[in-house]
Order: sequence, then C-alpha cells, then structure tokens
Amino acid sequence: MVSSLTEEEQIALQHKMRQCMQKVAQHRDKEAFGVLFDHFAPLLRSFSLAREPGASLMADELTQVVLLKVWEKAHTYNSDKASVSTWIYTLARNSRIDLLRRSGRYTTEIDPEYLWQETEDESTDPFLDVQQKRAEKSIADAFEHLSIDQRQVLTKVYLEGKTHQESAEELALPLGTIKSRIRLALKKLQILVRNQPC
Amino acid sequence: MLIHHHPTDELLSAYCAGSLPLSQALCLSAHIEMCKTCQTNSQRLSQLGAYIFNHTKPATVNNDLKEKIFSQLDQRPYHLKTTERKSMAAGHASAEVPKCLKQFVASNYDELNWHRVSFAIRQANICTGGNGAQVSLMRIKAGGKAGLHTHMGNEFTTVLKGAFSDESGLFQQGDFVVRDSQHKHRPAATKDSECICLTVLEAPIQFTGYFTRWLNPLLRRGYPSA
Repeated sequence: MVSSLTEEEQIALQHKMRQCMQKVAQHRDKEAFGVLFDHFAPLLRSFSLAREPGASLMADELTQVVLLKVWEKAHTYNSDKASVSTWIYTLARNSRIDLLRRSGRYTTEIDPEYLWQETEDESTDPFLDVQQKRAEKSIADAFEHLSIDQRQVLTKVYLEGKTHQESAEELALPLGTIKSRIRLALKKLQILVRNQPC
Repeated sequence: MLIHHHPTDELLSAYCAGSLPLSQALCLSAHIEMCKTCQTNSQRLSQLGAYIFNHTKPATVNNDLKEKIFSQLDQRPYHLKTTERKSMAAGHASAEVPKCLKQFVASNYDELNWHRVSFAIRQANICTGGNGAQVSLMRIKAGGKAGLHTHMGNEFTTVLKGAFSDESGLFQQGDFVVRDSQHKHRPAATKDSECICLTVLEAPIQFTGYFTRWLNPLLRRGYPSA
C-alpha cells in the first residue's frame, strides 16, 4: 500500500481529476485525457498484474480498454455519485472480468456488461454527494487502522480478484476465518447502512 | 417495499470486488436492482475497492502504450455531454424483468421454454455458470408446494415475483436467500399469486421426501452435467 499523500493533497488530486473528466466530456480535451492517462494507466496495469502476475500484454490490454472507455463514456460520469477513482475502478473491475471471460477463463454465457450497473444510474438525490464524500473519508481514516490480516484479505479479494475459497486456500486458513475477517473489517470501516425502505 | 432478506456483508463485498462467480453475481445483481439498501452498500463497497485500487504500487507504463491509445482517440465514437439527463428511477421493483436478466429474457417470463417439474412447479434453465452452476427460473403456482428437498451445493435465490414461505420464514419480492447443503426445506408459494424465483444452484437438487424421490431423474434432465 502506498499512501504518500496528505489529506489535502488527496482532495486537490481528486478535484483535478474531476476537472479533467469535465474537460474530456465537454470539449474532447486530449491534454486533460493525458493527465488522466498518466495517473491511472500505472494503476490499471498494476490492477491487472495483481490478478494475472506476469501477464504484461493483458495488463496493456486492460489499460487500453478502460482508458478508451473513459474517453468514450466521459459524458456518463456523474460526479455527485462517485469520485473519478471509484468510477474508473468500476470500469476496471468489469473490464477485467470481461477480458478473463473472453480469454476462456470463465466458460459461461453470462455477459458481465449487464451486471453492476448501479454507478451508471442517474437518480438525483441532493445528499448523494455528501454521503459519498463522507464514506470516502471514513474509508481513508479507518483503512490503515485495520489489522494486517484484515487488509491482507481485502487486498486478496479486491485487488487479486480471489474468491473467498481461493483466499482461504492461498492463506491456508479455514473459509470461515476469511469471511469473519472481511465482516469485521467492514464493521470497523463503518460504511454500510441497514434497511432503507425502497 | 421493504426487503427483509439481504446478502451478507462479505458476499456483497465479493460482488463489488468482482470476485464472485458470474452466476452468483447475477443473482445478487437481481436483488440489488430491487433493494435500495444494497444499492447504497454496493456503492460504498465499490468505494472501498477504489481506495485499495488507488493505493496499489503503480506499475511501469511503456511509452508505446500511450501512443497506441492516443492514436485511436479520433476514431472512437464519442458523445458530448448534454445538460439533460435521462432519468432512471433507483428502484425497479415494479418492472417485470430485472435489467441484469434482459440478456436472457427480452420482455417477459412467458417467452421462456418452461418445463414441468411437478404439478405446481415449472422450471426454465437460462444458462450455466463457469463453475458448473445451473442458473434457472422457478415458477410455483399460487399456493403450490414444492417437494421436500436438500441441495448438494449452495443455492442462491432472489424472489422476482410473488412470495414463498418455508420452515424458516416468508420470502417476498426482492428478497435474497442462500441455502446450503445442510438445509432441507419445502417451499410453498403464497396463495395470492404465483411465485417466480431466480435460482443459482452449485449442484442439482435432491428430493428426499418418500413420494417425491421419483422426481430426481426428471429434474436432473435439466442439468447437463448430472
């Protein structure tokens, strides 16, 4: 984990990314796209390599697929609902699954494009922006205070894309331990809500 | 609508991490479309993913990759941002078919190829998961009962229409439930309406009741691997 930025620097960076997204969405601004590229391309390659170590070509492909989506879909990005990083993370997650599926790693007819649509929903709620920032701050404040074990399991699941079963095998732990570590970590992060009426 | 049965926190986080088998992710996705609480929570859990993603050690990027991507920008389809946004309601409770199932069910459930499992139950297989899982829709007549059965693996269920009840409670539209192989149950649809469920089964159901054991070979017909 790299956390070299202070909180103010982090906020300034997010603000900059948001402005770049706006410039791409409104003016097709290649310079702004370049800024997004320089920030996200190394993270995207790293995200792909975490799942498939050594697969350098696949890492390039994922980076290309995601950044071209950023270019094409910039107009659908809703800054009230998600930070630029969250939006790009969800594109990366979905594209990684799709690439694995196309390469024959999952033999299923299910098209991941139809799943995970929530961040593209454009429901308007004036509190979304506030709630989203609060959750972001809560994660940033609490994450480094999680135990090493808890961080390790979350990293396995999120970054390496491992199932609970695979994580249990790799860490030589019972499945129940993996699940309870995740459950406790999420409790400590205090980001989940209970029972909102629909 | 108040949904009472949700996926566990660790299951929802696996969904947001993209680390669930797609068949199970499909079942969660159907629930989330109907559940405001899980929509909010999956947003939060994706924010957690973004935090982890943001704090990874960046990998090196070759200059050729940047050139390659920039050289394609002018040919890509592109939409300029307009001020008007299409409004999509957050809840899809009233819509017949959830968006995540549109790839298999274009407009309504009647178009599917339903086969009869018993007097009260019909089943339509919609796809298989990469892990040998069977994804189907189950349709129980109003008041109809299923035979007593257990599962050989975990079974994920999201109620799409109507409601059913069994020994452990009442499950209504939008509810999500996981049954493991220890669980013997005998679900029955409520009397007021038929019940349609999306089910993802890791391995075929085993009927255990004396009178319904003869159903096993009939049901297995639907599972290519059995």
